[in-house]
Amino acid sequence: MDDLLADFIQETLENLEALASEVVAWEADPSDQVRLDSIFRFFHTVKGSCGFLNLPRFEKLSHAAEDVLSEVRTGSRTADPHTVSAVLAVMDRIGELAEAVSSGASLPNENDDYLIQGLKKREAKAEVADVAAPAVAAPREGQSATIRSIRLPLTLIDQLMNGVSDMVLARNELSRKLRERANDPELEGAFERLSTCVADMRDAISKTRMQRVDRLFAAIPRMVRDIARDLGKRIELTLDGGDVEMDREMVEMVVDPLTHIVRNAIDHGIEAPDERRKAGKPETGNLRVSARQSGNQIVIEIVDDGRGIDVSRLVSKAMTSGRLTADVVARMTDGEKLDLVFQPGISTADKVTAISGRGVGMDVVRANVERIGGVIALENDLGRGLRITLRVPLTLTIIPGLIIRAGGQHFAIPRAAIVEILHETNEMMSLVTIGGAAIATIRNVRHSMIDLEDVLRLPRQAQEGPRTVMVVRSSSGIPYAMGVEAVENHEELVIRPASPLIMAAGVYAGMTLPDNGQPMLLLDAGGLASACNLPSLTDDGVQRRAEEEAAAERVDQVSALRFLELTGEERLLKLALIERVEDIDASLFGRAAGKAFVRLDGRLLPVAKDCGTFDGTMVTALRLRDGEREICYPVASVLDIVEMPTEPDMLLTRGVLAGVVVIDGAHLEVLDPFALFASMPVDDITEERPTRCVVADPNDIWAQEILAPLLRQAGYSVALGTDDMASQPGDILLCTGAVDPQALPQGKPVIQLRSTPRAANPRDTSIYRYDRDGLMAAIEVASRGEAA
Amino acid sequence: MIEQLYLFARIAGTRVAVRSNEIEAVVKLADIAPVPAMPLHIAGLSALRSRVLTVIDVAALIEGRVTPAETGRLAIVADIAGHSYGFMVDSVSDICTTPDGELPLRGQLDPCWAAYARGIVEDGEGPSILVTLGAFIEPRQLPVAA
Repeated sequence: MDDLLADFIQETLENLEALASEVVAWEADPSDQVRLDSIFRFFHTVKGSCGFLNLPRFEKLSHAAEDVLSEVRTGSRTADPHTVSAVLAVMDRIGELAEAVSSGASLPNENDDYLIQGLKKREAKAEVADVAAPAVAAPREGQSATIRSIRLPLTLIDQLMNGVSDMVLARNELSRKLRERANDPELEGAFERLSTCVADMRDAISKTRMQRVDRLFAAIPRMVRDIARDLGKRIELTLDGGDVEMDREMVEMVVDPLTHIVRNAIDHGIEAPDERRKAGKPETGNLRVSARQSGNQIVIEIVDDGRGIDVSRLVSKAMTSGRLTADVVARMTDGEKLDLVFQPGISTADKVTAISGRGVGMDVVRANVERIGGVIALENDLGRGLRITLRVPLTLTIIPGLIIRAGGQHFAIPRAAIVEILHETNEMMSLVTIGGAAIATIRNVRHSMIDLEDVLRLPRQAQEGPRTVMVVRSSSGIPYAMGVEAVENHEELVIRPASPLIMAAGVYAGMTLPDNGQPMLLLDAGGLASACNLPSLTDDGVQRRAEEEAAAERVDQVSALRFLELTGEERLLKLALIERVEDIDASLFGRAAGKAFVRLDGRLLPVAKDCGTFDGTMVTALRLRDGEREICYPVASVLDIVEMPTEPDMLLTRGVLAGVVVIDGAHLEVLDPFALFASMPVDDITEERPTRCVVADPNDIWAQEILAPLLRQAGYSVALGTDDMASQPGDILLCTGAVDPQALPQGKPVIQLRSTPRAANPRDTSIYRYDRDGLMAAIEVASRGEAA
Repeated sequence: MIEQLYLFARIAGTRVAVRSNEIEAVVKLADIAPVPAMPLHIAGLSALRSRVLTVIDVAALIEGRVTPAETGRLAIVADIAGHSYGFMVDSVSDICTTPDGELPLRGQLDPCWAAYARGIVEDGEGPSILVTLGAFIEPRQLPVAA
């Protein structure tokens, strides 16, 4: 087919799709000039294009519609429901024609003139008028803004996506290789940059796969309007969250189930106006379709205020069809009864209508939603409405995941599904088995406990350390605890769909090929829970109570660092005082004026314990801070962070120890920070700090290029400008004549420089700027004066 | 019309033929990563460059006995419904056309082959059972690995 023609058809079909909701919105508010204009523009474009493409039927139809709309625009005609229906009919016909042209079928041979006549007929039939038009609140934005775009085949985007995925894999492998080699900052810098580029590119490519949910919603207003008119119902439709984005393929997959649910809601859910009035409800029914993103899921809700599902009728239908017996029904919970609506062949509708009940039931809807990894949930309120919630995954391409090991094999699990990871031996957790059911109690919350090996029927491997327990949250159910051998790594995983054979097991969500080249399976958190038939009863009360208790307990506990002294004792120190722990080169430690110090970040810090020389080249040291002063406390090693009571079990009032506490059955001495800081000399080792020379005029070229290097060479630090003078007590000001001495900060020694070799008068104390010795001597004198 | 090419291979000791247009390649498999909680005949996953093959142990499907996992096994690679599969075979002998084409089945076929046999193809060495690869991955009730 001619490229030009193909483009025209494609564009027309897309415009039609976008316009459908515009027309309905326009009908609700005929005075809306913007919408009218956009519809008019559509017909105008079609008419213009088909003139030279030689498509006479398109031209005739669009011309007639354009005429009518231009009458509406000039105000000589109103946009009554009849006119809107006629315009819609013409749009439909153009759509049919376009489909026919693109599929190469013969054009449907129907009389277009009938439609055109329909357009020209003025509002004559009164009965059309009493069916009130549905008021539709469609978002205003959208088509009016023009965004420059090009058309690309989806396969090309998929190819790009695969390319980027492979690139991510190659980057990961490269990063692993780099880690193994000696570190070269330059190489690492370059790699970082590459890495960022790859990440950005991946994000951008991922976006091309995303589509606004608007597209999913586009067809709804028109559908609601048409069905409501056919059935004589009044419906107010609210669409919400059209700007949420989801994977293009997901959108395609959700269209059918959503359409079906909306049809059902109008046909079976919302009652006719009479019936609603009798039930004491407003005549106009409400239908609300909304989308929102929740984690890595899109939640689509369809809420109506109709009659809801009559569960007792569902049950009786199931019983008459022989599907259920009375004693089974007696044992069923309300939720299970409601779930009967998903059984094939059971519907509460008494008769099959043209709208729904075409043999496609809720069973098919549920199957379709579950096939794409989604969940469907019902919330029924008999007589007052029904809320249907669809939860579908956002996309399944690249997700952050954890690599876990079980039964000697590796598996991946989405990180979003993991709430917490702890060791089996952790004190906060206890494991009990009762009647075969394993229960893990973690901080007083009881979880069902499963072992991954048991679920997957893998042999348990003997292992040295404790097993790892993860608290897993599935998309629908409640959290449960899962035991695995170990959690090994955290990685971004490129997820590919696994073959249907593997998906059939119900515990896998996909597979991935990490950079070691060993394919790995992605576990499905929800699938694992249902594979074990875990009870799904929330244990909320216990959790709340536990949180309150934990909060109460926490009050008299404080975090402390447990460390080994150089002299071999284990001691504790309040964590809040420790700024950081670092390994310091032993050569940086020294003594001056009988005090031990360490040279760090260009400053000298007092050392709390004078222990002379150190073994080894590196010394582990705690850096403590009391708010103003900082001291360095060398230790043999840091052991752990523990909770200790604020009140020691035994108080000591002398020396550097505050008391003794018992933790894990061991007696530990607690350092007294008060005594520690009190024993330190008050005057820090300030003499060692180099004097700073401040050049008063920061813009003086001579000062910048000649004076500053000279001063630095002489061992002074140099600052240009007087802005931060206040903070530095040991500063000396240097003025180069151009600056008014009165404008300078007071209370600092000032050295005035002059550009002439000879002094202007005898009282002039300034120094010739090339008199190096004089300058240096002046600075020396000034700095001594300041220090004294 | 181009004459139909067949790949002749041996599965569980039986000669089989596969239409060449179903086949993408015949490869030696690298490591096979096992997939737990799977029917016996799903040997696991194997990487072929950046693709991941689901490896089907066809002999296990036919005989119910798992072929011991070892690297370097031959597999026929095929793309079916958007997924890549590797079908393990004992050996591959030839790709050629046959003078007589596809012949109807004669005799009483072993029931374990009945679900997969489409006919008989004869080359110079004798008859082979014609199979389609898609039949090996159709879901069916099978014993699950213990």
